[in-house]
Amino acid sequence: MNDQNYRVLSSETRLNEEYIEVAKEDFRTACVSVLKRHDAFLRLMFCTDERAYTGCFRIYAVFSDSRINRFIVINSAVKDNLAYPSITPDIPAAHWYEREIKDMFGLVPEGHPSPQRLVFHESFPEGSFPLRKDWSISEDDLKQWSEGMVVKEPYKFMRVEGEGIFEIPVGPVHAGIIEPGHFRFSAIGETIFYLDSRFFYTHKGIEKQFEKLSFGTGVYLSERVSGTSSFSHSSAYCMAFERMCGIELPDRAAAIRTLVTEMERLYNHIGDIGNMCAGSGLTLGYAKGALIKERLMQLNERVTGSRYLRGVNTLGGVESDILQKSDDIRSTLAHVVKDYRDFMDLILHSLSHIERMETTGYVAKDIAAALGITGLAARASGIDDDMRKCHPHLLYETLGFESNVLTKGDDYARMLARAADADRSILMINELLDMHFSKDLIAGSYSVPSMQYALGYSESPRGSLFYWVKSDHEGSVFRVKLRSPSYCNWSAMPFAVNGDIVPDFPLTNKSFNLSYSGCDM
Amino acid sequence: MLKHIIKNLCSRRNTISICPEDITAEHELLKSLEELRDDIDAIYGRSLRIRQVDAGSCNACEWECTALSNPIYDIQRFGIDFVASPRHADMLLVTGPVSRQMELALKKTYDAVPDPKFVVACGDCAFNGGIYSGSYAVTGGVSKVLKVDLVIPGCPPSPLKIVTSLLAFLKQQR
Repeated sequence: MNDQNYRVLSSETRLNEEYIEVAKEDFRTACVSVLKRHDAFLRLMFCTDERAYTGCFRIYAVFSDSRINRFIVINSAVKDNLAYPSITPDIPAAHWYEREIKDMFGLVPEGHPSPQRLVFHESFPEGSFPLRKDWSISEDDLKQWSEGMVVKEPYKFMRVEGEGIFEIPVGPVHAGIIEPGHFRFSAIGETIFYLDSRFFYTHKGIEKQFEKLSFGTGVYLSERVSGTSSFSHSSAYCMAFERMCGIELPDRAAAIRTLVTEMERLYNHIGDIGNMCAGSGLTLGYAKGALIKERLMQLNERVTGSRYLRGVNTLGGVESDILQKSDDIRSTLAHVVKDYRDFMDLILHSLSHIERMETTGYVAKDIAAALGITGLAARASGIDDDMRKCHPHLLYETLGFESNVLTKGDDYARMLARAADADRSILMINELLDMHFSKDLIAGSYSVPSMQYALGYSESPRGSLFYWVKSDHEGSVFRVKLRSPSYCNWSAMPFAVNGDIVPDFPLTNKSFNLSYSGCDM
Repeated sequence: MLKHIIKNLCSRRNTISICPEDITAEHELLKSLEELRDDIDAIYGRSLRIRQVDAGSCNACEWECTALSNPIYDIQRFGIDFVASPRHADMLLVTGPVSRQMELALKKTYDAVPDPKFVVACGDCAFNGGIYSGSYAVTGGVSKVLKVDLVIPGCPPSPLKIVTSLLAFLKQQR
């Protein structure tokens, strides 16, 4: 602490979260010093509108490293002049968060290299900030925004100029059955020189919607943020609420959450490995992957009533005792594992497929680290980032979870990282089914404290996932911040495809398999 | 390399195994799909081409549409297919609560589909906005933007549900 060059105004530690308040002027210095001293990642950054209570906005930056199970939350009050020193020049991972805070709250990050709009497109009215508590919008503005014909604040794409360079605009409506996003390739012949992208077409105002709902209904909403990570989302949301209220999760509920999280990971990874085959034209691999995935989805429906594992989580525990259906899980899994081994064997012997993936979509470790890439994309680029290991929650400590780190950083490494993850999920599911737990599914009675807050997290199939919740004076929702892994990982895409040919983009895109809806919020 | 190719050719790996449960599920499906084929034959001259548009969905509905093409459902053998261009489509299948930032793209896609065309609102969000209903960023359902011919409820509707709903709808059109 000797080299500390900022003044701590107050600090508070709850569970593994350490909140450090500094003056706005010290915000950047404090963040940089925490990042450097702990060799940490920026996990998320967000803002709250506390003007009704304290007369100010408050910005938060959450850091953690892979060695210590502790989150350091630097926070500062912002009032009067609504600007604060941008941390992006020092911490590139903050570049989207600061633009998002500007769109949502109107706080200006001074010194941000590209402070243009992130969430809202051209026809959203100027000077309108939806997450402010006193925000309202006129019917006319809404209509104009919907119609998208009036440009209220122009958006500038990166333009590459020179002889032989041309632009290929793609989307938002794509050829396949996928989510909407706009990509703009600047290509020289077939080689991609630069990729600019635009998202937030599926922006649904989820964080504002949380504020309208009760904490209980929020579980339902969190399951619908990103379809294929429904369970990870609701787990992280419930965990944040439970930590805020000081609820101790019964061991059976913790076991079921761990089990279902791994079931979710398994169906995603097998499906995604199959989808990568579609990217390189290995049709049989694609069909096999889709078949195995479908069997797992049908298993999901039999044991939880939902193919997307919805309706399992509830505040303080789980709704249904899935462990009672362990026989079905065990026998289906045995059948699936056999086919999965065959499927992997096919892929690992398809040299054209492997050659297509090798060295394609390369993301260097330093770039991945600077951009705060998370999950298996980070693990494929040599960064040991896995919430199950860095911040053990649920039963991951009991299971003795170890993460699997690869170094090549290409599409092939991401596929292998998926396969390794799937293998581990199979082991963990079987291990959990053999263990014994007490009967309780839901924790006993609790009350929601006023003006309390906490962080919740999980390792979704795509990577680390965060929720931060805060209650108001009446114990209702004051603020819910969510950060999906795709929000971080989309930044890696322009780097990954740089220098590759345009037809490699679908393959690389599938190797990341990022969510648009989760990112767009 | 040659060794691997020979090994691949000699192995039986290039087959897809179907387990007994799949066959039972397929049996039920086949029955309804055979009927569907007759309807498609009558109305569309043996093919129904669908263009799917995600208008702010959480992506669960899309995966259910994708699942329709997997080896268990395999709807292509009945003349139904999802197409890349709206110009090739007879039907627009829209998912999601229609986020305001997707409304223009949705309308443009609709305009690009040649007449006669049908619009399907697939999933609870596409029906009335679902849990997102009332949010500032969504219009609250496909019917707010386009004339909807069929609603397939569910969050998300299962692949089987999507197919059977299409069947019932096409029967009415006959």
